[in-house]
Amino acid sequence: MEFSGLSGDVILGTLGQILPLIVGIIIGIIALEVGMYLFLARVVKTKHALPFTLLAPAIIAITLFMVYPLIFNVLLAFSDLKRSTFPCYSPVALGACELDHLYGLDYAIKNFTDVFFRVRDGEILGWGRLLRTADSTFPVLLGRTVMWTVANVIFHFTIGMGLALIMNMKIRFKGIYRALIVIPWAIPGVIVGLTWKQEFHAQYGFVNVLIQALGGQAISWLDDPTAAFIAVVFVNIWLGVPFYMVMLLGGIQSIPGDYYEASEIDGANAWQRFNRITLPLLRPIIIPAITLDVIWTFNRLDIIFLITGGGPQESTNILVSALYNAAFGPAATQQLGFAAAFSIIIFLILFAFALVWITTSGGLKEIYDR
Amino acid sequence: MNSTAAAKPASRSSLSDEGYKQLRQYGAVALLVGGLILTVTNGMSWGYAIIGAWLGLLLWKPLHGILVFYSAISVYPVLRVISISLRPTDGLLSRSLDLIPPGATFNSFVELFTEEEFLRWVWNSLTITVAVSLIGIAISATGAYAFSRWRFPGRRPMLIFLLTTQMLPASMLLIPIFVIVAQLNLTNNVLGLVLAYTSTAVPFSIWILKGYYDTIPPDLEEAAMVDGCQRMEAFYKVILPLSTPALSIVFLFNFLAAWAEFLVAKVILQSNAVMTWSLGLNELIGTFNTDWGKYAAGSVLVTLPVLLLFMWQSKYLISGLTLGSVKG
Repeated sequence: MEFSGLSGDVILGTLGQILPLIVGIIIGIIALEVGMYLFLARVVKTKHALPFTLLAPAIIAITLFMVYPLIFNVLLAFSDLKRSTFPCYSPVALGACELDHLYGLDYAIKNFTDVFFRVRDGEILGWGRLLRTADSTFPVLLGRTVMWTVANVIFHFTIGMGLALIMNMKIRFKGIYRALIVIPWAIPGVIVGLTWKQEFHAQYGFVNVLIQALGGQAISWLDDPTAAFIAVVFVNIWLGVPFYMVMLLGGIQSIPGDYYEASEIDGANAWQRFNRITLPLLRPIIIPAITLDVIWTFNRLDIIFLITGGGPQESTNILVSALYNAAFGPAATQQLGFAAAFSIIIFLILFAFALVWITTSGGLKEIYDR
Repeated sequence: MNSTAAAKPASRSSLSDEGYKQLRQYGAVALLVGGLILTVTNGMSWGYAIIGAWLGLLLWKPLHGILVFYSAISVYPVLRVISISLRPTDGLLSRSLDLIPPGATFNSFVELFTEEEFLRWVWNSLTITVAVSLIGIAISATGAYAFSRWRFPGRRPMLIFLLTTQMLPASMLLIPIFVIVAQLNLTNNVLGLVLAYTSTAVPFSIWILKGYYDTIPPDLEEAAMVDGCQRMEAFYKVILPLSTPALSIVFLFNFLAAWAEFLVAKVILQSNAVMTWSLGLNELIGTFNTDWGKYAAGSVLVTLPVLLLFMWQSKYLISGLTLGSVKG
């Protein structure tokens, strides 16, 4: 009996893979905790036996599936791994290998240089082409990433704050408005991306149908570089506003009403109340929210990947989507060694920014240092 | 009923504004009637009436006007997908904006189940998602407790490392994981995907849970321990039940993230047998053709349960995210 690709065998097959994993991991966690606690408390006799025991599963999981891959990623930056050399790096010999060594500093130098420059015979010819077109160079991609991030965060914040302020007033149907406005947050990102891609279709998408109904000119959203960039930014703004509205509204509602009453008696106007009471008191929410949003937006590639794929003519590629395309996309021949180096550069840029921003704004201090 | 209720916080209203308010009400009615007249004279195109009504609302009660406009922007694309899923095959490529298409039918849904392996996609996604959510909670619940209640060597560096993992570009983990999985010949196995998702879910989960545990006074466990409980017994009997809101947020976040994941799955899973719904729907939309109806039907089916879950949990979600952040 099979229906829609699902049959008893398929169900049993998947359960056979998944259930032992879940049961194994849970039994493993219990065994590990008991064993580790006994070892630390009876043998090592440390006073930190209990916290280390409790942390052990998380540390093991993070080490195996995060720290180890990251170290391996650095190693890959020292390799010449790409589609054509894949057999060389496989533990099972799959075919002839043209490389005389697998890892080396020469590969690393080439990989990291390729991110920035186009080099021939040791001579720098100019900025490197990260993808097919000459325009996709590192500074162009970085500039576009900054534009993408700044535009998104500014609109997320202003629209989210505006809505939160309105929603905080005495107004009817508040529950309904909130339920409706939060909807984009709850929709899976793939659906959001693919659906908007269809709706930006020049002829049948509702965006152009509406524009034309209002007397405007149809815009070829996915073929025009500027329009395509506006389209992806718009969708990402649409996606991000609910998060801000919810966070800020929660914060505003927890500000005691007395503050506003007192300031009203003193004759403060609406702007002064917002500027002197709401904003400062919301700081512990605003700073972490913006910090997280900058990081998430900088690294967010699913919307761009699904709607434009970075096109047309690489005009909507940001750093992370160019990286994904270089490593896995149809545009490249899976240059994994180069992509590993590229990913390290991107991370370092974001990390440097975050370090400066967090130390100057004091953001996130509340979160990890309570 | 009157507009002062809405306008009061802006503190612009005074008695002399009464006439102005009256004027706005008349203007609103005029706009509504104007829109209706244009609708009738243009062969019943309701767009004019809707725009007229909205402009009237904006004039009469500006705040409601803004909220209605933004709600419409949020909801319309969703309604539109539902509407497309109901279109008959020969009417798929239409420029109509009607929410209920002429000749509405459930044909696309039937085709989705009979012509595609939709159930198998959903089943694959579901098992991966449930496994990730369960394992993620099991690993992070105790770890977060250790971070919240004890000061031990290495605590601060570990917390900062967890923070830093949020900055990793997805591909930075995906490249090595892809190479490892390919070398071990584990592509097309859901296990690799489960482990990859879990490892990215754990740091954020620990953060949220630690933040929540921090707000529970340690006196509670101490009282329980005075009553003869062991420390761990106190954790399971006192702290965990009190943390239901945070645990549900973490479960929900991990569930939503794994349920909708696409880019990692696209790289790791390559055979039809283990395809998740996100990969399946992406194949349906490859080109702008008649599969659009099936895609829309599938989107409705995979989104509705998540949407309901989200609405049902949204109270917890909001309180859990902002809890204790503002000290008034």
